[in-house]
Amino acid sequence: MKLNQDQIQELYIFTRKHFVEHYDLQTELVDHLANGIEQQLEATPNLTFHDALNREFKKFGIFGFQDVISERMKAMDKKYRSLIWRFYREFFKLPKIALTLFLTMVYFSLLLLMAPEDSYYVFMGTLLVGLIPFLYKSWQYKKRLNKKARKWMLEEMIFTQMGWFNIGLLPMHIFNLSINSDGLYLNQWFLLGLSFFIACFFILFYVVVYIIPPKAEELLAETYPEYKMA
Amino acid sequence: MGNAKLYKGSLNTIILKLLEEQGKMYGYEITQKVKELTKGELQITEGALYPALHKLEAEGLLDVEVAKVENRLRKYYKLTEAGVKETKDRLAELEEFIRSMQHLVNPNWSIN
Repeated sequence: MKLNQDQIQELYIFTRKHFVEHYDLQTELVDHLANGIEQQLEATPNLTFHDALNREFKKFGIFGFQDVISERMKAMDKKYRSLIWRFYREFFKLPKIALTLFLTMVYFSLLLLMAPEDSYYVFMGTLLVGLIPFLYKSWQYKKRLNKKARKWMLEEMIFTQMGWFNIGLLPMHIFNLSINSDGLYLNQWFLLGLSFFIACFFILFYVVVYIIPPKAEELLAETYPEYKMA
Repeated sequence: MGNAKLYKGSLNTIILKLLEEQGKMYGYEITQKVKELTKGELQITEGALYPALHKLEAEGLLDVEVAKVENRLRKYYKLTEAGVKETKDRLAELEEFIRSMQHLVNPNWSIN
């Protein structure tokens, strides 16, 4: 016996109830459950759809879909990181490397010009001012995403996974360190290294917030063959 | 089941080998096939199969394809070029392992 459209829809609701939020994973699990149910109904015709569904779901073990969800997250996270890397590494190749070096030199000049005491505050200030547009953009993305009925795991990562902001605080810690040890701060090589490091961070934010999200449609279609079909 | 543990470590290799033979397969088909081939000794739960598939996909060894079958979408997995190569390597490794184990258990036995 083949399942009808209503039953397929019911399976989608079932997966959602069992914490599978994303359409990509829902679709795969719905097909799996449907195949299992159809086979059971064929073998035992007087079994009800719901009994067959429960039996099929039990095969996933006591944690239900939990393992599948968390492993899928890990796999997608890997995919997302590889996407970031794909765009990020452009900034270390010609012609974009010129921009990276330029940014490094701007920071380096700034650090050289200021007295260590003042530069700390000015520097923190520029970092914060630089981060505000990023935060604003990510807030905008999140709002837009919440309005969507159908969620895709990678899409959610692209628009909300800006946990990278935490890493963004790292340069500040390094700066703290350099302030506390005078010798380090006077070392121009250290300052140059620090400038390069900061430039790299800003570029990373830029990639995550401004380059990848506008390409989301294209990247989702590339990742999910079903994206255009759904 | 004592053998379950032995099989478990080879789940990825089994999946790769199946895809090498069959071309493309979907999740449910793979679970059924694995159960059939291992005569039920390897109780791969659905909870273990999909994570393995997704991991192989993320590693770039599998590619996915989606087709509308009757009233639903079906996701098929197939080997990428890297996957084909990896399958060969893993099978060779597995064979080597079986050879050494056999040698250990029964020195007079030969896999050929």
